[in-house]
Amino acid sequence: MTNINGKAYAMNAITPMKPWKTPILRLFFFILGLIKPLQKDLKGLSFIHFARWVVIPRKRFPHLGGSQPRENLRYDYLLFFSNFNGTWNQYIDAFSAVLYQGLDAIWRWSEKYPGSRPVTGFKQYIALVQFDTDYYYNVYPHAATNDVKAALRVNQALTAFAQRSESLSPQEFEGAWLAFRATVAPDLGATGVAPEGD
Amino acid sequence: MANTSGSTYGLTILSPIIEDSRLDVCHSMELRWYLSQLPRDYRGPFAQLSSTYLARLAVMDDVVFVGHPAHEEHLRSRYLVFEANFDGDLDTYLRRMATETKEFVEAVWQHCVGFPGTNDIGAFIVYMKRCQLETTFFFADVNDQTVESTLAALKAQAALTHFLDRHEGQPAAEVQRAFREFYAKLRKSPGLRRGGDESRDIRQEHIPHE
Amino acid sequence: MSELNGTQVDVSDIQGFALKGYNFPFARYLLVELGEAAAARAWLKELLKVVTTGERWDINRKPMSTVNLAFTHRGLVQLDLPLASLLSFPLEFQQGMMARRGILGDDGKNGPEHWDAVWHSGRVHAWLGVNARESEALTQRCAEMQQMLERTGGGKVVEAQDAQAIRLKDKFSSQEHFGYTDGFGNPVFKGAELNSVPGQGKLNDRGGWDSLATGEFLLGYADEAGELPPAPIPHLLGRNGTFMVYRKLHQNVATFRQYLEKTGARYPGGKEKLAAKFVGRWRDGTPVALSPDRPDPGIVADNQRNTNFVYGSDPGGLKCPLGAHIRRVNPRDAFGFKGGLINRRRILRRGLPYGQFVPEGQPVSDADDRGIVFMALNASIFRQFEFMQQQWIEYGNDSHQGNDKDPLLGNHSGHDRFVIQGTGEPQNPPFICGGLPNFVELRGGEYFFMPSLTAIAMIATGNVDPR
Repeated sequence: MTNINGKAYAMNAITPMKPWKTPILRLFFFILGLIKPLQKDLKGLSFIHFARWVVIPRKRFPHLGGSQPRENLRYDYLLFFSNFNGTWNQYIDAFSAVLYQGLDAIWRWSEKYPGSRPVTGFKQYIALVQFDTDYYYNVYPHAATNDVKAALRVNQALTAFAQRSESLSPQEFEGAWLAFRATVAPDLGATGVAPEGD
Repeated sequence: MANTSGSTYGLTILSPIIEDSRLDVCHSMELRWYLSQLPRDYRGPFAQLSSTYLARLAVMDDVVFVGHPAHEEHLRSRYLVFEANFDGDLDTYLRRMATETKEFVEAVWQHCVGFPGTNDIGAFIVYMKRCQLETTFFFADVNDQTVESTLAALKAQAALTHFLDRHEGQPAAEVQRAFREFYAKLRKSPGLRRGGDESRDIRQEHIPHE
Repeated sequence: MSELNGTQVDVSDIQGFALKGYNFPFARYLLVELGEAAAARAWLKELLKVVTTGERWDINRKPMSTVNLAFTHRGLVQLDLPLASLLSFPLEFQQGMMARRGILGDDGKNGPEHWDAVWHSGRVHAWLGVNARESEALTQRCAEMQQMLERTGGGKVVEAQDAQAIRLKDKFSSQEHFGYTDGFGNPVFKGAELNSVPGQGKLNDRGGWDSLATGEFLLGYADEAGELPPAPIPHLLGRNGTFMVYRKLHQNVATFRQYLEKTGARYPGGKEKLAAKFVGRWRDGTPVALSPDRPDPGIVADNQRNTNFVYGSDPGGLKCPLGAHIRRVNPRDAFGFKGGLINRRRILRRGLPYGQFVPEGQPVSDADDRGIVFMALNASIFRQFEFMQQQWIEYGNDSHQGNDKDPLLGNHSGHDRFVIQGTGEPQNPPFICGGLPNFVELRGGEYFFMPSLTAIAMIATGNVDPR
């Protein structure tokens, strides 16, 4: 399954937009970039490593000359690339359930977008505009973004504790060891192989 | 800079693929074939490009006709999509591509229009930048680390959990000694291998139980 | 009809098993191989007259026993439904549970090679669930079922699975073999809100609980996503029906008791607290989220409290561990977003223990045949049960526990761990339970479709027309 490497799924989607709508979308992204709390929900879902949207104006498909014909398009195109954890259905279900306003704000400018609720029509649309990845690399296939963040927290606590504990007496160590274990205990889940995709 | 988030760079490159109707096997097919047998784990080229988190290559054949009343239209070329997320700046990354993963770059981009090869690094960088698309919005969940620091953290977490499991319930004096040893060993041990190992990535449950 | 907030639920058309837990202490689940289509349909015509519906019973008119019916996809094929209808059923139902073992994690000790032979026979076409208030009534009703099958030539029983509530001190209890009081936390949905208690539904904006959309559990009604859930065609075939997951879960009581004894001796909170941390409820049913230090019979007895809790004030898992069983399978508010990621992952649970109960302290063996017959009802097996099983029981990413599995139900590999979060207090330290054995093993099961009475009539008269 070339869209998947370890716990990450590489989704690609391309949707057409009437060129007069493109500036509105750019404005929305501009605002999203400025207002950090708007991104809070994306971070809260905590299953995307990296995601990006790329607008290609209709005259700006790369043209390298030579025998390559110039594109002659009436629509601008919105490209979407996501690196997410979980199955395809899980991902779309989650967005449809809790981030539908944000999704709609981005994709309502694309032609024939049905809205992200109800979810069945939304999934059909995504299946239509999604194209497959031919090659996918993941530096940490055993780790979802939750695992990465947990590991960073644990490592930070571990480094701090290791430094401090150098100078502790055995009695002091006991209390510090307990406190350290309590700190890291929420973040000790094992990493490993992802559940089967669907 | 829309292409970056924190210290992470989001690269999007769209390279037109050569169309040549005289060929028996067209470029896009050759390219797909090559990609299908390219190793995706520690043996692959991106493990070599060590600052890479996640990267993909996709042959985009055409745009999609979403249905009436939208109009049907088609691209005149196929495009190779290259999406990558890595530490550091673009020029360094492109330079490393041309020098450290030369064979891979040539095997892939030889199928693309205007590819100048990797011998002239400057020309290569210019070419790739001509194909680069500006990212409109880039989201990175973690953007203040490096691949190195992330892998070190993952290793530390796994090792620590194992240590805690083994020493659960032991008296603190014993643990203190053991911990000192454990930590010293951890600092010296080699990092996690980039890209994992697909030949060993079978689910735990498929390993025969006793 | 029962009407609440505009949702009319046709109780006389919906099978009672889907609408309510009967709370009868005796059950026998008959797995039936159908005869050829005409005879099977004749059988259904007769059976239809006695299938128990969801209608309310008057106080003194409770039946002594109930009968309910469900089909596997093979069974629907055997009944000669039109091909277009057969293919319109959800993919996972068509495939059957054994074929879905990759998604469910049913390998190793849970693999089909360990299942009861009947599940390999290809002969399970239908499920007849008989529930009874007394043993005598059960025997009688099952005999009637047997006779009806013989008389019509509609089929034969290929396996009978008995189940029975565990008796404690001469009274039937809701305890299961590991000693936990079971039966809390079933979801409540619009149209079936009798006997509901706070905490069963979904969270609302005011910190209270609302009923879930009917369409999460019954086909033909709006679901939480604001649409009618995908259902088989024609519409009437699916309407008022639901899907049932049936799993026979063997329990390794000896292993469980040994593990609890051994690890409980090392765990500073003690054995009972350890048992409570595994599940998220003390064995008497007290939610750990409400009473982390001791069981509280007062809370258990109070329906306004025993299911009414959230995890928002315990993000670190200090009261109820992040990976505890009930926190995994019903995260409530733990994922944020006001429960929006949970509402479409609920299942309606039915079932009873099977096998002889052995009280604590008496010799017991894993090899003895005992466990629980677990049944889950939902509008979409894929989206609800399978998701919960794959993502929340056999995996831990959503509860931020990485690959760690449900400590009690997980299909452990021998090295798996359960991490208990804790504080600096001596009675509540962080603690790692390592080397988890498989406490529960799957011995078989299948996916069933539980049709409405209208749908049974359609099938019985050969009137299924898929457009």
